[in-house]
Amino acid sequence: MRKIHLIAMRELKERIKSRSFLLMAVLGPLFVLGLFYALFSLGGSEKQHWNVLIMDKTEIMQTKIAPKKDPRFTFHFINEFVEYEQFADLEQFQGYDLAVLINEKIISNKQVIVSYRELPSENIQRRLIYHIERRFEEVMVQEFTDLDVAKFREIKQSMNFSFKNTYDPKNEVNYKAAWVGYVFGIGILLFVFLFGMTILRGVANEKSNRVVEVLLASVSPKQLLMGKVIGIGVTALLQFIVWASIIGVGLYVFRQTFFPDLLDPSLLLEQMTQDVAQQAMNEFALTARSYNDFVDLVYRDIHFTNMLIFFVLFFLGGYFFYGSFFAMIGAAMGSESDGQQYIIPISVVLILSLLSGYYVIYHPDTYMADILSYLPFTSPVIMMIELSKGFTEGSVWQIYLALFILLISSVVLFGIAGRIYKNGILQFGHRLRFGMLIRWLKKS
Amino acid sequence: MLELDGIYKSYYRQRVLENISFSIPAGQIVGLLGPNGAGKTTLIRIINQIIAPDKGYLSFHGKLMTSEHLKNIGYLPEERGLYKTMTVEAHALFLGQLRGIPKADVEKQLNYWLEKFEIESWRKKRIEELSKGMAQKVQFICTVLHDPDLLILDEPFSGFDPINVELIRDELKEFRAKGKTIILSTHNMKSVEEICDQVVLIHEGKKIMEGPIMDVRNAHKEGLFSITFSGNMIAFATALWAGYEIISKEVHNDTTFTVYLKMRSENEFNDLLATLLPAVKIISAQEVLPSMEDVFMKKINEGKEVENA
Repeated sequence: MRKIHLIAMRELKERIKSRSFLLMAVLGPLFVLGLFYALFSLGGSEKQHWNVLIMDKTEIMQTKIAPKKDPRFTFHFINEFVEYEQFADLEQFQGYDLAVLINEKIISNKQVIVSYRELPSENIQRRLIYHIERRFEEVMVQEFTDLDVAKFREIKQSMNFSFKNTYDPKNEVNYKAAWVGYVFGIGILLFVFLFGMTILRGVANEKSNRVVEVLLASVSPKQLLMGKVIGIGVTALLQFIVWASIIGVGLYVFRQTFFPDLLDPSLLLEQMTQDVAQQAMNEFALTARSYNDFVDLVYRDIHFTNMLIFFVLFFLGGYFFYGSFFAMIGAAMGSESDGQQYIIPISVVLILSLLSGYYVIYHPDTYMADILSYLPFTSPVIMMIELSKGFTEGSVWQIYLALFILLISSVVLFGIAGRIYKNGILQFGHRLRFGMLIRWLKKS
Repeated sequence: MLELDGIYKSYYRQRVLENISFSIPAGQIVGLLGPNGAGKTTLIRIINQIIAPDKGYLSFHGKLMTSEHLKNIGYLPEERGLYKTMTVEAHALFLGQLRGIPKADVEKQLNYWLEKFEIESWRKKRIEELSKGMAQKVQFICTVLHDPDLLILDEPFSGFDPINVELIRDELKEFRAKGKTIILSTHNMKSVEEICDQVVLIHEGKKIMEGPIMDVRNAHKEGLFSITFSGNMIAFATALWAGYEIISKEVHNDTTFTVYLKMRSENEFNDLLATLLPAVKIISAQEVLPSMEDVFMKKINEGKEVENA
């Protein structure tokens, strides 16, 4: 055990000191966070305060807006139309970020044009629409009905249509959640491939610079392989922890600073009268859905604790499983350039397992999907998808069975890899042929 | 100290070692000789327990050899390498601890060797910053760091400059003086003659010769003598007349020669001197023993002739 520990620690120290580890640990999560940021803000500006010029020639809005002030906006009214060019160029308009054109026939044509200097984010656009629509509701109720505004809003509330799959009326197939699982599954495969290649390069490198013979005079081939695989595996876990921490902190910071009201319509609505709040909430939820799926996904739908625990378990299983193949090839290579062609089949299997995830998302109830769930080649991806969709009561055993099969397969494959490693690691200068692997496998 | 008994090893139905048995007493340097492909490296790997023999036993200090004994063995393989990105110190600590030596002891030994080789400034240098010769010194240090009782060196002088070869040779002699045992696998016969006490010759997986160097050379002597004299070459040849065969001669100047000759009859060395003394002035006279290279070539060729017959 002590020798395995020494080898693993050497591997770990060498990897975490390398520039590529540090680059990946910093740039990887920052890239992911950047992606999140882009998706959250959807290309729009998330400026904190907007000066809005409402061009209301007929003064239909009577220089009023929603009942209470929204700190994000300051509204200014003028009773004339300003051309685009004038708004763009004249100095007197430079203080305004947005110009809202309320045309004279607004009552009938419902057309509102908003010209902007800087595209507001979806969130800001929604808020602006909300304020102006609410004001027009009041105006129209006063002008054309005897109803009070609250009653009008109740009547106005749109019908809530719900489309259900006749084969899945309870909407158990949750595509959105499935995609989250898929992303986690891709993460597993990405880490498995990256660190599998690290095993391969490490083994081939030790072989080509002949340090392996010195080591084998002190440790057995199995100890050496085990130490190496564990060391690189711990490096991968460290990398993962760094990723999870940076992304976690980043998402928290996003929520607290850049997008404080991203998920919480009440933040917007607390400033409004109580009677409209509920109805507004419904509408808000409805409009929000069109773009806010991703936000929901990130902040509400992912059970991070569960996902992360099983991510680590399936990653470890997948890493040992696929890592065994990489170790076999590394040990069997006659030179560093030899054996590259044997990486292709593993890559193909990894890509197929990636595609299998896509297949299972859209064909979840097929026999093939069941098989893929338990096959050790594909189970890390499929089970992350299943986990993110959630297991019904009584079917949780499936994930444990898949994990068990994966771990058993890893142990078996690791044993095979150990045998090939033992017999191949001291063979130099040959051209690797498939027959050799079989021969080394048969040899005790 | 080390005993091998009936070692057999085959790779894929091809016999690499066949019934190899010999024993090495403590405090000796043993040359393990043989042409390329003779099975030396396989035998060394078996002694180091890198691979297991198909048949046969090894004993170390009179006990059946186990992995526990590995901490008493130092091994410098022919194809040797180091982790390029590690520092000299980190590398030495890693290999020393792998041999089962506590860190503090490894550090102490490392200090001793760095000081001895006057290379303390290399301690924090990465291996990739060292020249090939420097790296080989580090490899040697890593091999002896745990103060092993048995040192196995496979072509230890290859790649070293003459100064370093001398340095390593002196170290090996010092090891022997301390009662340590050394197995030296090399093609450098000059080194074998100079520092080895015994040799074991392996050819095509079989041991074909073994014994103390002088015994081996004596066993293969062919009655060849070298006489360096001053005088007349014709007088020298006339004095010998029958019973001697001149093999070759070296002319140093008009009156000084060295002649290599063999005795044909039952004559003794003293008879030869008695015959020559009246004819020329003898400067030196000695029996010429075959070099280890000659013995090596002869034994290998004998093996080939047996095969062809």
